[in-house]
Amino acid sequence: MLARTRHCLRLSKVPNYRHAHTARTVGEDARWPGWRVVVGIEVHAQIKSREKLFSNTWTSDLAQVSNMHVSPYDAAFPGTLPQLNPRCVELGVRTAIALNANVHHRSAFDRKHYFYADLPSGYQITQHYAPFATGGLLELPNAGKAVRIHQIQLEQDTGKSTFDARRRLSSIDLNRAGTGLMEIVSEPDMESPEEAGEYVRALQALLRSVGSSNGNMEQGSLRCDVNVSVNKPGEPLGTRCEIKNINSVKFMMTAIASEVFRHIELLDQGQPVAQETRGFDEQKAETYALRSKEDAPDYRYMPDPNIPPLFIDGTYITNIRNHMPELPSATKARLMAMGLTARDADVLMTVDIGREVGYDGALGQGAVSYFDQLAHGRDTKVAVNWIIHELLGQLALRHETFKDNTMSVIQMGELVDLVQSKKITGTSGKTILRHILTHRSSEMPSTIAAKLQLLVSPDTDGTALEAWCTEAIEAMPRESEAVRKGNVNVLNKLLGHVMRTSRGRADAQTAKATLQRLLS
Amino acid sequence: MLVSTCRRTKPQFRLLRRNHSTLISRDELVSKNRTVNALVSLTSESSFSHHQDVSLPLHGVTVAVKDNICTSGLPTTCSSEMLEGFYSPLDATVVELLQRAGAHIIGKANCDEFGMGSLNVHSSHGPVINPHQHPTSSAPWESRERRSAGGSSGGSAAAVSASLAHVAIGTDTGGSVRLPASYCGTVGFKPSYGLLSRWGVISYADSLDCVGLLGRNVDYALRTFDVLSQYDSKDPSAARPETRRRASEACKEHVSQLGLDNTLQKLKVGIPQEYFPSELDKSILNPFRRTVDFLKSLGASIIPVNMPSTPYALSAYYVIASAEASSNLARYDGIQYGLRVEPPPGTDLTKTSNVYAHSRSQGFGSEVKKRILLGTYALTADAFDNYFLQAQRLRQLVRQDFDNVFRMPNPLRSTHQHQPDEQGVDILLHSSAIRTAPPLASASPSSDSEDSLSSYVQDVLTVPASLAGVPAASVPAGLADDGWPVGVSVVSQWGFDKLVLDIARAIE
Repeated sequence: MLARTRHCLRLSKVPNYRHAHTARTVGEDARWPGWRVVVGIEVHAQIKSREKLFSNTWTSDLAQVSNMHVSPYDAAFPGTLPQLNPRCVELGVRTAIALNANVHHRSAFDRKHYFYADLPSGYQITQHYAPFATGGLLELPNAGKAVRIHQIQLEQDTGKSTFDARRRLSSIDLNRAGTGLMEIVSEPDMESPEEAGEYVRALQALLRSVGSSNGNMEQGSLRCDVNVSVNKPGEPLGTRCEIKNINSVKFMMTAIASEVFRHIELLDQGQPVAQETRGFDEQKAETYALRSKEDAPDYRYMPDPNIPPLFIDGTYITNIRNHMPELPSATKARLMAMGLTARDADVLMTVDIGREVGYDGALGQGAVSYFDQLAHGRDTKVAVNWIIHELLGQLALRHETFKDNTMSVIQMGELVDLVQSKKITGTSGKTILRHILTHRSSEMPSTIAAKLQLLVSPDTDGTALEAWCTEAIEAMPRESEAVRKGNVNVLNKLLGHVMRTSRGRADAQTAKATLQRLLS
Repeated sequence: MLVSTCRRTKPQFRLLRRNHSTLISRDELVSKNRTVNALVSLTSESSFSHHQDVSLPLHGVTVAVKDNICTSGLPTTCSSEMLEGFYSPLDATVVELLQRAGAHIIGKANCDEFGMGSLNVHSSHGPVINPHQHPTSSAPWESRERRSAGGSSGGSAAAVSASLAHVAIGTDTGGSVRLPASYCGTVGFKPSYGLLSRWGVISYADSLDCVGLLGRNVDYALRTFDVLSQYDSKDPSAARPETRRRASEACKEHVSQLGLDNTLQKLKVGIPQEYFPSELDKSILNPFRRTVDFLKSLGASIIPVNMPSTPYALSAYYVIASAEASSNLARYDGIQYGLRVEPPPGTDLTKTSNVYAHSRSQGFGSEVKKRILLGTYALTADAFDNYFLQAQRLRQLVRQDFDNVFRMPNPLRSTHQHQPDEQGVDILLHSSAIRTAPPLASASPSSDSEDSLSSYVQDVLTVPASLAGVPAASVPAGLADDGWPVGVSVVSQWGFDKLVLDIARAIE
């Protein structure tokens, strides 16, 4: 988990590299001079709804025991019929609004037929002929462009089959069968693996910010099919190949690069690129043929005769629009307007991506919302420093992420206030923070400070400080003598003694001055 | 009400005499069923008791349920080897409503496999034998002439006709309730599409499938309809409560304007000219003419009408129904439930088709396979526009024919009251079938080719109402020249189910 935080933090540095790269792509890419790369991406994002798309069975995560969340409908028992879950529509519309897509008044559901054991009805219900949203844009700040969205459709996820090669048996798990998916299809607007990577990451952040999906590629709640082609500038587009089922952004970028090289190699040899569907071998970092265009299945699309058309009226859309969660671009602008540096805002937002996305659009408590609450009525810079440097730092040392944080905003708020009003020192504040995390304590910092004797005593006349200093001088005669003789560096040893005996309650600057006075 | 008027004038038209009120014992039921083969599973003797609450609307009413409607207590096989011994985990909404209303479900009724067929010969349980016996026959009933009960709800119609049950629930996709009702001499009612819940009804063609009712008389059908016509949120194609209310108010108002209390003087009866195909056996027209004369005698105006899209209805129906069937029957793969035939050793199991093909080849009968193939073809990318989309356009035209011919607007297409179209008619009347029940071939399941083609032609008369989703009832109209029953069909605008039943009761 720590690794993930680090990985994410490292990402925030990428822009510099990207800018350099973007500058080059206008002309050409040093990796493939004289070639232009065209990439389009189909993303399947699982809708984070409590219930499935067409049944009231609960959705599952990977931790769920197999085949626990399966109703007769999900297993395609005869006589069962679909019931559209309005929550899925709502989250779909939220996503469409966030992508500036055009939500259609009327859309419809179709059946896509193919035989596979994890598809018990023999068809997937999707929106082939009339998707609920078309058009739209996703901004890629680093690439300095916007990728156009072609369409967004609602559809069912399949079950999962795992093949036991030793026993030569397939196991079917229907927990996932019928979970709602959003298929988000981009236009072929990306021109490098890096742009494709930024597109998927931006989409992930957007889906999470509106609460419509976890967007987690490793766990399979977001999956990408990538279309890649190459051509010479000024010439028509090349033949595209589709790479299916890639399960991380990193692999996707590697797969695109590998596919680009493969196409160029073929074309350089005067051979055509065959239109086909390809898989990606993570070990070899190369793609391999799955099926050719001729073998492409005929899905026999048919309007679903059970499900009436979906009508989405303007009032419904306006209502969702008025209650839209903040989008990443708006969050960043707001944080910076509050006085945060771009770097601090990025860190908060990167950590925020790791937050739990609630069911049915409930927005989870993430780092940004923690900051918003903490900064309320407080100095924003102080608040962000306590979160980034102290809280996140301590969590990282513990190999924990922000999700594991047990310290409430109220506890943190009181802690910051105690330090700011000098009732405790900054050092004591850090001690208390560690104490709360270590003991998973729900006690208020003031209570803990009293227990640990960390409250700065009302030492108005400085007698206590004077006593700690005298005690230090007496305990360390050799060092004291050295200071008297002008070795100022040794003063820090005495100061350390004062801080220890005072349990951090002494103010370092005043203590230093007092020691100097007593030793002069 | 009209009923009272008609009861007075009715006896002369009641050619089928039957004791409607007595219940038969279980032993009698079992032995009778043996020569009819209407029921394929029976509710156990221990639970063969009746609801005690006499105030319930269907107290004391026995019901047979077609075997493609889910019951958790009895197998639901769709007469297919694919679902042999299959117990559904759920009860269909209509089954629940029947039980809640005090009805007693006696068992499951034979049918054509997955509802596909017009003769009830395509059944893993064997064909249903029509319970009717020629009035002049001297042979014992058990050795009566073997004729088809019609399909696909043949078991349902035969159960009612043989007095095994007061009421039977069937399904009607293209005539599957009305046709067997006509052959067996019972009332068969296909309500407006979307009024009766399809939750728990095993899909053949979702956009056409309707739960239908078969009764010993119109009153049984009406009482059952009143119980079952409820909005069910589990059926996505169910008519919404506000649509039902609008339709039912429009129907009520229309019926009161017609003033059916004493006379049919304001009633306009349309006779669609396209409903007399060349295949129609002229010898069955006498009962139909008698019905027309009877309505005329009560003051109704008889008006010839044209429904020009009718000739296309049959092909549109078979494309749409087969396409939907090929989709709906894709789920029977031997993985989750139902028949599973293990592939022979050495089969390459990485290909899905190798795993599924054996179960599907053995599990489905020939008629089902034929329609799956036809439907699969109609949905392929190359054929989709010319077949499936073309069929949908024709379906639109057929719908338009009905909207054009009726004087009341279609409640599904108009949210506000239109002025009634005074040129239009209130109901359509036509023969339910092109002939009386055909003899069952001595050799089991009918051979293909010509035989099956003629069974498709029969559907000419029933599929238009299915495509349009409008209510249609087949009412016994007496015996044709060959001594076998024949029905007439009353059809009206969507949501005017009560009008259909009112007129059906007048004819009865």
